[in-house]
Amino acid sequence: MTIAGNAVVTMTGATGFLGSHLMAGFLKQGRRVLVLGRSTEYETLHERLTLLLDWFGCSESIDRLDSLEIDFFRPRLGLSEVRYGALCHNTNLVIHCASDTSFAERRREQVLAANVHGLDNILKFASDSRTSFFHYISTAYAVGLSDLICEERPAEALEFVNVYEESKAMAERITTGYCDKNSVPFTILRPPIVYGDSRTGRSLKFNALYYPINSLQHIRDIYLNDINLRGGIKSNESGISLDRNGVLSVPLRIHLPHPGSLNLIPIDYFVKAALLIMKNPLTGMIYHMTNDVGTSIESVAEYTEQFLKIKGLKIIYGAHDYTAMRNPAEELFDHFIKPYRPYLSDQRVFMRMNTDLATGGLAPPVFDYDIFTRCMEYAQRVDWGKALFSDHELNSHIMNAAYGS
Amino acid sequence: MNEILEIAKNCRHYAMCKIDFLGSGVCSSGTKRHYVGFYPQGRMVLYAALAEKKIPVTEKGMEIAYECDLCGKCDYQCYFVNEMRPSRVMKALKDYLFSFRENGGEVVKIPSDPLLDGMRMIVGEEWATNDPGITVGYSHDLSPLVTPVIPDYVVMPDTKEEISSLIKLFNRNKVPYTIRGNGANLLGFTTHEGVIVDLNRMKTIAFDEKNWLVKVGPGVAAFDLQREAQKRGYRINTSEPAALMCGNIMCSGIMSIFSTTCGTNADNFIDAEFVDKNGEIKTLNDITAPNLFSFKNTHHPPSPGVCTSAAIKLHPVTEDEKGILAPFQTLEGALDFIRDCAIRRIGLAMGIIGSEYVSAFLGPTKKLALEAKKIFTDKLDMPFLVVFIGDKYAIKAIQEMGVPFIDQRLFTALQLGLPSLKSASWLDIIREMSEDKPFSYLQLEHFTDMAETALAPSSEQLTQGIDQELRPFFRKLYSSPEMTDIVWLNLFRIVSTRIGRIKPFIPVLIYAPINNSLIAELNNKFHAIAERHQISNEFGFITPIDNGKRCIFEYDYFFDHKDPGEVVRMQQAITEANKLIDEYSIDPGTVRGHPYVLYQGFCRMENLLYT
Repeated sequence: MTIAGNAVVTMTGATGFLGSHLMAGFLKQGRRVLVLGRSTEYETLHERLTLLLDWFGCSESIDRLDSLEIDFFRPRLGLSEVRYGALCHNTNLVIHCASDTSFAERRREQVLAANVHGLDNILKFASDSRTSFFHYISTAYAVGLSDLICEERPAEALEFVNVYEESKAMAERITTGYCDKNSVPFTILRPPIVYGDSRTGRSLKFNALYYPINSLQHIRDIYLNDINLRGGIKSNESGISLDRNGVLSVPLRIHLPHPGSLNLIPIDYFVKAALLIMKNPLTGMIYHMTNDVGTSIESVAEYTEQFLKIKGLKIIYGAHDYTAMRNPAEELFDHFIKPYRPYLSDQRVFMRMNTDLATGGLAPPVFDYDIFTRCMEYAQRVDWGKALFSDHELNSHIMNAAYGS
Repeated sequence: MNEILEIAKNCRHYAMCKIDFLGSGVCSSGTKRHYVGFYPQGRMVLYAALAEKKIPVTEKGMEIAYECDLCGKCDYQCYFVNEMRPSRVMKALKDYLFSFRENGGEVVKIPSDPLLDGMRMIVGEEWATNDPGITVGYSHDLSPLVTPVIPDYVVMPDTKEEISSLIKLFNRNKVPYTIRGNGANLLGFTTHEGVIVDLNRMKTIAFDEKNWLVKVGPGVAAFDLQREAQKRGYRINTSEPAALMCGNIMCSGIMSIFSTTCGTNADNFIDAEFVDKNGEIKTLNDITAPNLFSFKNTHHPPSPGVCTSAAIKLHPVTEDEKGILAPFQTLEGALDFIRDCAIRRIGLAMGIIGSEYVSAFLGPTKKLALEAKKIFTDKLDMPFLVVFIGDKYAIKAIQEMGVPFIDQRLFTALQLGLPSLKSASWLDIIREMSEDKPFSYLQLEHFTDMAETALAPSSEQLTQGIDQELRPFFRKLYSSPEMTDIVWLNLFRIVSTRIGRIKPFIPVLIYAPINNSLIAELNNKFHAIAERHQISNEFGFITPIDNGKRCIFEYDYFFDHKDPGEVVRMQQAITEANKLIDEYSIDPGTVRGHPYVLYQGFCRMENLLYT
């Protein structure tokens, strides 16, 4: 593809969860979008974007979407002087969504490389292009673990839950410093945990909120198979049984250090709020796109029990040694949710005055059972992401119903 | 080609039908008459030769067909190794020959000659022949590259004295002769014109426990010896189960994953007895014996003669020996682990195997093996596994090292639940959840329990895809503890013959330092050579030897031996790979090619590795 002749929204990370939805949002507004990115071993950047447009039901926007293969780690993004000049000339807004979202400590170097070291050349590009604004998509958890009341201000914490949060905080500091020094207008957007579309349940990503539910579904199916096909000998050993209503009783204790909640927003809220923020941005502003109404783990457990037809989930708070005397299901589930455990009983309160001002008080919906069901039904339908692009007709149908297009 | 002939020509000549590795018994005519022709392997060759009119119908050919009672034992054995049903060939052979006779066909009686008379004078009338019905059975060996040659005679001596007399007879008459064990080498040097001296009658096994040795005749197969040793509470370092011990030592030196602690070459025996090229009988411990402990880095050194007996070392066994499999995402990770273990002298046996080996070992059918390969590589992200055997202290050391592993109980669940693994979507999530530490789920206390619940392992499940009439036998077989016992399977190695199940293979074998970059370089180059010649290829295995200072590294080239074009490409690839090994044996000078060990297998390991 070629770099468009007209001024465009230039984006990174447009093949990711947040970035792709934002890209679709801009295209639906009639904007031109130029995606900076890389091909994978299996598909080109263009192929991936075409697939995504199809998924979003906006294939007709293809002529307003361009893509350019770049290398974040090379000066001029790995482009020739001429191509880089053209890119700068045609860009009037830069949105940096690209991110490595791994929590794994052993991937520290890759995470830091992608989220921190790759930032320099993007920021230089923002400066060279004289962009009207540079919007950096961060995370609410870049605030770290220092304060319980988290203001919309630069991250100062030194303690984080994982390398992802740490890298995002570092990236925020670098962005702020560079943009201040080089007079690049910028904002930082901090979403919390983002799930699928609250109206349709559709999603491109099935980690975070989805993971524990997916895990429990697998555990349920293992025992249901054992009971239905083999008389449930192994299930009995773990105290697992099926009642006459077809509800599986799984004694499963979820140990958390203290009560708290999950901060959840749907992707449709994220897009709406982000577009509003970007419409009238204020430089140097940080926007918490968080939910004032947290979702307790008890609620999620209740929704899960109802949805999966299981019972026996029990939340236990305290710092005692919970690893002793666990049954196989408990142990496996505990292993499954380990990376997400800190987010399940979060006590932090995120202030969001900047966001409220910029969005006219647009608030994310409360995460209720209806939304939960819609999201999980979609997840099941696309086999938790494995059949995401093979269900196009169904997807289009849902989209049309939701958007009336 | 008709279906029966296709089966006959597909015989891999592994000689597995000559050992009772499944406890189903061995072809009764073979154990009585000893010539290859009286075993299923020989009948496959005979049928193909008759069908293609390469030999006439002879008296011995008729005897071979007559003595087959169609018991079907060969089906169990060959299906286990190669998923083939030779009994169909056996029946076709009988039908063909009996109908030939009924229709008045002439059964040829091959007249004797002075040389044959001379051989018969030495070994007895029954044990020397020039009948093509018998000799054609010796026209093949395990090497799929060999051009079949029907020898003029086959003789089966029973004593070293008989061998001595035979050699003197051959020398007097200037007759070329070739010594043959079970024809289980991969280099193709047991087929020849002239006389084949088949040593399969010489099956003496004499234990001398107070001296920690067992003296074996040259007709003793590794499997049979290991079984006898195990009965007495010992272990022997053996190679392929059907390989005859004496010939195996001479031609390649014994190597297995136990070579980590048992060594290779001269480490495995105490003494050996030879009949030299002049027919003189010597033992290695004679002060005047030729120095077979030396090693010369050269192709085709002269044969030291016929090894007529070897005193093999017995190794002690403890009751707490267990096997585990440690998975690795990279070859480098696996190399680091085995080097660490070998240097620290943790464990009795270890080797890195790739997904090709794992799948061949686990899958009772080709279909299931292909699925297993995909599962281990893609789903479980385990392209490399280290097979490790050790006592309870060694296993505890691995736990303390923090290396996640598949223990015996989980291995049994994975093996017997193999068909369920394909649809086990819960494994996908497990893999994703182990991002921070690969395979950390294996360290969960109850993971095996969960795996057992999910996979419902059973011999019934594992044998679902097996031919229906064979299923009851295999169901019973796989329910026996040995068939899922990592230690037993590595001791007796009966599943390793499945490696060539889809296509025959030629191993590229080298000795090299456990240097990650060197191994990676060689691995890539062996791969590139094969790709250039359009030969399918796979990483084979790596076993540390000499306390981790060196390793044995096998890379495998697979080909269709019935496709002449592929045979030529294979020959080119092997030549190129050998040339590469030659280059590395000069620079950096630490690499040795296994083909050089031919006829030098009695050498000291140190002379092979370091001189």
